Amino acid sequence: MAPEKQRILMVSDFFYPNFGGVENHIYYLSQCLLELGHKVVVMTHAYGNRSGVRYMTGGLKVYYVPWRPFVMQNTLPTFYGTLPIIRTILIREQISLVHGHQAFSTLCHEALMHARTMGYKVVFTDHSLYGFSDVGSIHMNKVLQFTLADVTQAICVSHTSKENTVLRSGIPPEKVYMIPNAVDTAMFKPAEERPGGNEIVIVVISRLVYRKGADLLVEVIPEVCRLYPNVRFIVGGDGPKRVRLEEMREKHSLQDRVDMLGAVPHASVRSVLISGHIFLNSSLTEAFCIAILEAASCGLLTVSTRVGGVPEVLPEDMVVLAEPDPADMVLAIKKAISLLPEIDPQVMHERMKKLYDWHDVAKRTEIVYDRALKCPNQPLLGRLSRYLSCGSWAGKLFCLVMIIDFLLLHLLQLWQPEEDIDKVPDFVIPPVEISSAFDQEQDD
Amino acid sequence: MNESFIATARFTYIKDRKWPSAAIDVHHVIVRQSNLKGLLVCLFAFGFSANGLYLFLVLDKSPFALLWSLLLSSSLLKLGIGKSVVKESVLIMPNFGVQLETHYRSGRISRHFVPVSKILKPLLLEHVSPVTCYWVLSLILLKEEELTPVFKELHLPLKMLVPIWKALCGSGSGDNVFSLHSTVEDHEQSV
Repeated sequence: MAPEKQRILMVSDFFYPNFGGVENHIYYLSQCLLELGHKVVVMTHAYGNRSGVRYMTGGLKVYYVPWRPFVMQNTLPTFYGTLPIIRTILIREQISLVHGHQAFSTLCHEALMHARTMGYKVVFTDHSLYGFSDVGSIHMNKVLQFTLADVTQAICVSHTSKENTVLRSGIPPEKVYMIPNAVDTAMFKPAEERPGGNEIVIVVISRLVYRKGADLLVEVIPEVCRLYPNVRFIVGGDGPKRVRLEEMREKHSLQDRVDMLGAVPHASVRSVLISGHIFLNSSLTEAFCIAILEAASCGLLTVSTRVGGVPEVLPEDMVVLAEPDPADMVLAIKKAISLLPEIDPQVMHERMKKLYDWHDVAKRTEIVYDRALKCPNQPLLGRLSRYLSCGSWAGKLFCLVMIIDFLLLHLLQLWQPEEDIDKVPDFVIPPVEISSAFDQEQDD
Repeated sequence: MNESFIATARFTYIKDRKWPSAAIDVHHVIVRQSNLKGLLVCLFAFGFSANGLYLFLVLDKSPFALLWSLLLSSSLLKLGIGKSVVKESVLIMPNFGVQLETHYRSGRISRHFVPVSKILKPLLLEHVSPVTCYWVLSLILLKEEELTPVFKELHLPLKMLVPIWKALCGSGSGDNVFSLHSTVEDHEQSV
């Protein structure tokens, strides 16, 4: 039986006009769910002057709520400050299910908490891997434990990420589904003709930060340039580690062999990728890594660090894995160079089309939604018992937070009853028939 | 649904049928006064004044304390009751212009006339604030960067804004957005 059509609210601090894995995931998943007939609304915080309601392609409605981000694009955590606006959006859009994204998003955690208090089913997708021992991770894991204690279903983007999320949050593994990310193969296509000549071009596109292994690049690039005089590097991206790479370039006089492009807009990523033969990823931690999917879709052979969920992403003949160590990475690049003559970019692209498709991701997510909606409703007391198991002190604190949320919700219902909130009419955007419009233009 | 009269717990919408709508189309929205709010404001103002008097007369504190209390009370009364809106009206004179009126409890009336040549389009928009989201009827005006809200003070329900928006669209001021129009009509019928 086909799943029922739902009205979904996607919530995250990370969305357009920001660019990244989470942002892309939310956008493409929303577009595919709209094509499947669901109604999707996105809620995020305001970005500069971009505040209020906006509509994106396909009628995707986005609420840019004017809560300013305070650190790393995250909304200031207020616990209860977002309750009124979240309640209003849930009621006026007649939402049936809330889908939060990313453990690091405070807006997501608050939205899921309030949605559960209001009785909605919630789904959470975790996009990152976190540690267990440092202070930041300990706090983050406690927050995640609180949110996932009462979440209906959860989704992770790789098996490694699922294992990590289950260990960090204590959520039962049977509640967690694994749905990988995908890539827009229509946008990331190989060049008509592969770059020719004797030169081998290695492309690096990532944020130049510690987590993305920029320090490894500083060691690897000069060594590879020394061993292979015909190798050139193109480095796209910006960040605090860019200075180190510039210094390395100066120190080894590699100005004519290492091109630093700076920040590359997402629309231009393909044009940079198709100018190379090999894609180098040096991340120290990755739950999935959409970047290597994009590179493989453009027909590049990938060399990557064997971290996190990366080994699950590509078949063995499309990727050469190495430990996050400069010597091992140099050996991996050497192996990749020797494999290059066997690589056919068009064949690689066709394989990627079959392996990864956002429509498939949407259909699998639909199944998760369906299962979430079939879960029974639990009263407050039943839900509170789940929070108590989060720890001797933390459990009681979480229960108190939820009880206060429950009371505030009822106060809000007295102040602004549900009947006073206007429901939004559904605007039908007529599909544009491109071929018929072109024929009409020709007739005219 | 009778478009001439719509009532909710907080507002009453009346379409004035005194004059033919071809000459002048008048729409009023009257605020249903809540005695509770006025009572609370008066109580607080009384409390501040009484506190000031007590400090000055009984405890022999400086007269500035009394002065501050009286100032605070009068400000509270002015903001809570004096600025309180009784009615907002939209007078549409087809092919001439639109007059927007706000009537306050203090008796003051604020009027703003917009000639039809300046009006590019009347719009129904969703306004998002940090705590809520509601519909707003606004005008896009020629050579003005900011939208002009038709109702300055009141946040009206959609079912009251729609007939006024339709009247503005049909008055020769701006084009009709027909797809929104038909969808909103369907919504209206279901409300």
